[in-house]
Amino acid sequence: MLKYGGEYTIKLPREEVWKFITDPNKVVPCIPDLIESSIEGDNRFQAIVKVGVGPVRGKFKLDCELSPIEQGTAMAMPIKGGGMGSGVEMNAQVKLSDTDDGTLLKWECEGAISGPIASLGGRLIDNQAKKIIQQVFENLEKAFASV
Amino acid sequence: MLYMAILRSPYAHARIRRIDTSAALAAPGVKLVLTGEDLAKMNLAWMPTLNGDQQMVLAVDKVLFQYQEVAAVVAETRAQAEDALQLIEVDYEPLPVVVDPFKALEPDAPILREDREKKSNHIWHWESGDREETENVFRDAPVVVKQDVRFQRVHPSPLEPCGCVADYNTATGRLTFYVTSQAPHVHRTVIAMLSGIPEHQIRVISPDIGGGFGNKVGVYPGYVVAVAASLKLGVPVKWIETRTENIASTSFARDFHMTCEIAAREDGKVLGLRVKTIADHGAFDAAANPTKFPAGLFNIVTGSYDFKAAFVEVDAVYTNKAPGGVAYRCSFRVTEAAYLIERTMDVLAQRLKIDPAELRFRNFIRKDQFPYKSPTGWVYDSGDYEKTLKLALERIGYDELRKEQAEKRARGEFMGIGISTFTEIVGGGPKNTFDILGIKMFDSAEIRVHPTGKVIARLGVRHQGQGHETTFAQIIAEELGLSADDVLIEEGDTDTAPYGLGTYASRSTPTAGAAAALCARRIREKARKIAAHLLEVGEDDVVWDGTAFSAKGLPGKSVTMKDVAFAAYTDVPDGVEPGLEATYYYDPPNLTFPHGAYIAVVDIDKGTGAVKVRRFLAVDDCGNVINPMIVEGQVHGGLTEGFAIAFMQDIPYDSNGNCLAPNWMDYLVPTALDTPHWETDRTVTPSPHHPIGAKGVGESPNVGSPAAFVNAVVDALSPLGVEHIDMPLYPWKIWKILREHGINE
Repeated sequence: MLKYGGEYTIKLPREEVWKFITDPNKVVPCIPDLIESSIEGDNRFQAIVKVGVGPVRGKFKLDCELSPIEQGTAMAMPIKGGGMGSGVEMNAQVKLSDTDDGTLLKWECEGAISGPIASLGGRLIDNQAKKIIQQVFENLEKAFASV
Repeated sequence: MLYMAILRSPYAHARIRRIDTSAALAAPGVKLVLTGEDLAKMNLAWMPTLNGDQQMVLAVDKVLFQYQEVAAVVAETRAQAEDALQLIEVDYEPLPVVVDPFKALEPDAPILREDREKKSNHIWHWESGDREETENVFRDAPVVVKQDVRFQRVHPSPLEPCGCVADYNTATGRLTFYVTSQAPHVHRTVIAMLSGIPEHQIRVISPDIGGGFGNKVGVYPGYVVAVAASLKLGVPVKWIETRTENIASTSFARDFHMTCEIAAREDGKVLGLRVKTIADHGAFDAAANPTKFPAGLFNIVTGSYDFKAAFVEVDAVYTNKAPGGVAYRCSFRVTEAAYLIERTMDVLAQRLKIDPAELRFRNFIRKDQFPYKSPTGWVYDSGDYEKTLKLALERIGYDELRKEQAEKRARGEFMGIGISTFTEIVGGGPKNTFDILGIKMFDSAEIRVHPTGKVIARLGVRHQGQGHETTFAQIIAEELGLSADDVLIEEGDTDTAPYGLGTYASRSTPTAGAAAALCARRIREKARKIAAHLLEVGEDDVVWDGTAFSAKGLPGKSVTMKDVAFAAYTDVPDGVEPGLEATYYYDPPNLTFPHGAYIAVVDIDKGTGAVKVRRFLAVDDCGNVINPMIVEGQVHGGLTEGFAIAFMQDIPYDSNGNCLAPNWMDYLVPTALDTPHWETDRTVTPSPHHPIGAKGVGESPNVGSPAAFVNAVVDALSPLGVEHIDMPLYPWKIWKILREHGINE
């Protein structure tokens, strides 16, 4: 089981952040190495991303759902998919709270991977995952800046 | 020819909700896509394992281990087949994964095998020895040591992975099956039973094989699917495994979680042995064992020592791991047994502060006790353990090494000496107790002497580099008074070779070697009749001196085997059948029990935890030696594999059942640079029941050496109070132990 988490302060009011993160049209462009995407309804989208972990390289097809747990403060984001004979399942949770100068975004992510990505690239996954997460937040930061 | 590739499960445990093969079928070059459902229509969805279980050929309903076979694509090229695999869509619903065999036995563990009647992950319980007597011995014993010992999951990892070409000819109804098989006849029988093709219409050809080590005894789903594909398409279908497929899905070895207790007197004399074991068999019970011994020959665990009483129990468990459990260069779990007893004897020595060599001398089965009946029922044929260990101690300079060690210890350095005085048990037969899939384990030879005295001999075994051409040619030449150059050895073609059970468990020389010798003697008996005719004397007056026949009391008049061979086709006496050939099926009266005394000398680097094997001496006793160079080569190979197991090999799984070492980046195979220099020597205690007194040696070094390595490392660290370390002895593991004990350099 992979576990990641962190927090991030955004200089925007909570309502605006909430609106942003529950809108697939806003979230999808923040996904790094995106090849193709299709938004299905208000809170679901599919994304095809480029993945490269050690000797395993190819495309992943991911299904994501943005599902509010508590309006305005907590959201779950289950991600399921795979490719190249490998599978991914992740459960991300985002919590928002007010701070003096904006919003504190706390996130947690639990995931499991299976297949050659896990067994061949096992030693490299941690760094790769951290890199992807860092990229997601860099993209988010840019996106928020333009809000 | 078409090429096949197999789609494998990314999950260790998952329900298969749907498989969509339409895109793959439409891909360029693709001729056929097979799933478990397709095989079910051919009655090939399940196949029997070597151990009376059944295994899915291609998964139906659910997958039970990562890399399990799910579907297969046959295409014009291998690349097209591989590409099309990516287009097969499988909808998996992941299920809870069980990787720990102890957790698998807990009452709330998910049941893995829904196809089994027994709703539990427990496969079988097996015990051997006398429980009550052993309990009594333990109750009164002054000293008891107890040690948990893990023999990790390892893999035979032959240089060449498994592979086959199935060629079904629709015109003749004949299947020619080229396969890298250690037991071609058994594979022929299994294919006949599975496919419904009559056995005489199947020809299995097992050509030269790049290593087996137990990995090529089993029947794997890939073989069955290749046959099914060729049956459907009527063209040859080739399937060659990748390295990852070989390590992650074909038979592993070991994976025993053992607890050993020895009851002893204060002076180190052992009294009783008690062993409890959990055997992790993975998803299917596909272990290679004679069916009468669910845990193989593990109950040889009393080893070279005279125990009054012993009790051994083994429980086998299903987990979400690759199935198999072959005897990787060992006879059915002897390696685990030898490692356990040799390790625990050292724990006892350390506890009682007795030198490990001395402790062994006090406990050896004595030379005059053979044939020796062990408390678990084996009858050891012969041995001289004392002589072998004495020779080993002298040759290595044991006393000087201990002095050197004491000096180094005084300087805070870590040097260790490890001894292993193991007893092997090899030669699979006799038929009454040994079988593969119910087929009795005898072995066979067929010898044809041609008119010019040249010989073709065919055997039921199949070597994978063991040098049978040399060994068996020598045996036959010796019996017939010919040169080994006159004898051609053929193996591996079921159309020509007599039915045999194959090469594994160090059984070739003990069984087929015996068959070859006895078959040659049959020829000699017939040759004697012809020689009598040529010498113009009565048959009783013919004497064989090892090179020629002569008439008793008539020196100077003799005929050689070559003369007789020519006469067998040109000048046969009345009442004698022309020709000179014979067949022999040999059922050994007992197994053979080679033994050895191995000593490892190691130095440990305090800074890195790296172990340097400074010296390693192997003194083997495999009975009479047929070819010393072959024996030497076998010992070197076996020691190198034993070294790898002790120091670098393991197949770990993460909690999701991901196999973490399915390649040679993570599962290490030693190179020439890693491998220590091997010193060897030999004693000879012939087997009393083998026609030429030979015992078999190929596995001894792999069975005996891991304990010597680990004993040496533990001995080196014993000043810190270390009593046991589980293999593999990675440098980081040793480094951690050093740090935990405050060694910081």
